[in-house]
Amino acid sequence: MAQQFPALIIVIPLLAALLTAPIGAINRRLCYPWLVFIIGVTLVLALGLMIQIINSGPISYAMGGWKPPWGIEYKIDQLNALMMVLISGAGFLGALYSGPSFTKELPGRQTAATALYFLMITGLLGIVVTGDLFNIFVFLEIASLSGYGLIACGSEDAPLATFRYIIMGTIGASCYLLGVGYLYISTGSLNLADLHHLLPPLYHSRVVLTAAALMLVGISLKMALFPLHAWLPEAYFEAPSTVSGVVAPLYTKVGGYLMIRIIYNLFEPKFFIETFPITTILSWTAIIALLIGSIYAIAQKDLKKMLCYSVIAQVGYIVLGIALANQAGFTSAILTIVNEVCTKSCIFLATGAIIYRLGNSRIDNLQHLYRRMPWTMLAFTIGAFSMVGIPPTCGFFSKLYLLCGCVAAGRWAFIAALLLSTILNVIYFFRVIKAACFENPQPDYSRSEAYPLVEVDEVPLAMLLPILLAASAIIITGLGSNWLVTNIITPILPLGF
Amino acid sequence: MLEFIISKYNFWLYVILMMIGLYAMLAKRNLVKKLIGMNIFQTAIILFYVSIGVKKGSVHVPIIVDSHGHGAQLIHAADYLNPLPHVLMLTAIVVSIATTGVALAVLILIYRRYQTLNEDEIIHIRQARQKAGV
Amino acid sequence: MKTIILAFVILSGGLLIYGTIDMPAWGDPHSPANSYVSPLYIEEALKETETPNIVTAVLADYRGYDTMGETTVIFTAAVACALLLRGWSEGRKERE
Repeated sequence: MAQQFPALIIVIPLLAALLTAPIGAINRRLCYPWLVFIIGVTLVLALGLMIQIINSGPISYAMGGWKPPWGIEYKIDQLNALMMVLISGAGFLGALYSGPSFTKELPGRQTAATALYFLMITGLLGIVVTGDLFNIFVFLEIASLSGYGLIACGSEDAPLATFRYIIMGTIGASCYLLGVGYLYISTGSLNLADLHHLLPPLYHSRVVLTAAALMLVGISLKMALFPLHAWLPEAYFEAPSTVSGVVAPLYTKVGGYLMIRIIYNLFEPKFFIETFPITTILSWTAIIALLIGSIYAIAQKDLKKMLCYSVIAQVGYIVLGIALANQAGFTSAILTIVNEVCTKSCIFLATGAIIYRLGNSRIDNLQHLYRRMPWTMLAFTIGAFSMVGIPPTCGFFSKLYLLCGCVAAGRWAFIAALLLSTILNVIYFFRVIKAACFENPQPDYSRSEAYPLVEVDEVPLAMLLPILLAASAIIITGLGSNWLVTNIITPILPLGF
Repeated sequence: MLEFIISKYNFWLYVILMMIGLYAMLAKRNLVKKLIGMNIFQTAIILFYVSIGVKKGSVHVPIIVDSHGHGAQLIHAADYLNPLPHVLMLTAIVVSIATTGVALAVLILIYRRYQTLNEDEIIHIRQARQKAGV
Repeated sequence: MKTIILAFVILSGGLLIYGTIDMPAWGDPHSPANSYVSPLYIEEALKETETPNIVTAVLADYRGYDTMGETTVIFTAAVACALLLRGWSEGRKERE
């Protein structure tokens, strides 16, 4: 049984998606417990798999018993297991949250939305679990298609934003597919581990260089790396709350995972440093991304839109960590992914809760929010602290490793940019906290009757619980970051830095 | 030189086709034309893959003739076309159709919301609505 | 704007064509794609899967998992269309 976990973890949400239609036909309200139960089972399986891998090392699973490279191989190491836990964890929080949120935002459409939610989790898990380049493309498209569907049923302008996302996402996926084709024509294989051994003699071939560029451009489009980010803010802004609470933490980070796989596992890092110096270009783009994202975030008047731009800035942190191509940089890239999933999950869900109560998320609308929704705002504050990088949150440790990586690489300009972006982060988050906490309307001395008391008006427990769980995950991953580094990241540090 | 062109020209044709699609996706202002461009782009990639499977000198499509009852016959790989790109492209065709389907559904929503599929007009309508809202 | 896009498109087309220079010639039976993994499919498919059509054998057996993904893609698209379009008609009935 235990050795079938890698297959089961994909098959369970997939079958659940198929069964959602009959269950929803019996009673629409059954969809919500069904979603929570199945994603919970997936989370338990992912945790079990991670413990198994930490104890006994990476496993390889040949789908259908066909030996790689002829069949499709699942190769699961510590990074895959970590990503699986993160995806099913954020998926579980979103599932808990979806009950009241879907009922309010998508009345009468919960069945289809639940089925798509399952498929989205299936697609994301499929991307991180497989070791076959073409299989990654197929699951990338499952995840993207379900994302398009879920985002398009958001607010009034959502369809147009989704259409732009579809166009850009398809260009990205097609570039990736073409890159895989270029690799196939020069090697004849599609298996990631197999290609890793086949490619080194071909490093100077123009086909392989073009393939690497195509795949990186495709992934950058999917993960909205500057300057290919234009589709992201609008699409995530218009999406329903639950959807943006799951899509924003997961999609760009899965892109980051793919970038790690391409740079470190498909090719060797020395290919990107010596033969094809794209890491320099990538690191400068990342620096621009994290500054531009933060500056745009400051310019926004709406909380949710501001967070969308902060997603773009965080993509910059991940890519910078990857592109530094040293041990501290690699560690910080993975820690940033962990931190981002927890933090973005927390603050996007909290923003969804604010929209649930207030109807919109304009920043000048947030007065008294610390009294009206104390728990939501507590979680939001923890998330904001983690974004800025205040200990003991995970954000602090990821930034610390990133700074160490910049020092090790001798890039002093990057350190200045990182410090500047931290200050910008402080500005845009504390603006929100100030609006929600300190800003009182001007006292009106002429009135005689007492001011009405602001009463506690929290969202339903089903929405509050995932927000608080995400906030505690930020603290736990922060305190446990040492454990993460020794058990997950150190064993997979690539050789040859 | 001529030999070089002959051995590569099919790839170049697909690249040109791809670029026609890419141009339509980026430059056209009508959303349906963008979608058509997307289809051209994906079809060009499919053609590119299928052309990888060609083998000069192989006479058979990858179906083994007279296979039943003559189980012991010898099969030479050089006689048959490479089946793998065809398999991959069956999947990619389905993916491209599925994407087109979802994009068309989204286009229906857009048309019902704005009564037009021209991006410039939609932006104009949105600005007018925003002004009316403020 | 259109000139910038045209220049960008021509540039990326040039990059793709630059990549084809080192490619094996079209139809070369000894190219890696035709000589590394695929011959085994052709030679073993009948023995291992009892299917005379090799494309079918690879599609449904060796790489059957991709095909499962393919059907899932279609299912996803169907559910997405159902979510988007059915919700619209119900919403219209409520509005009317």
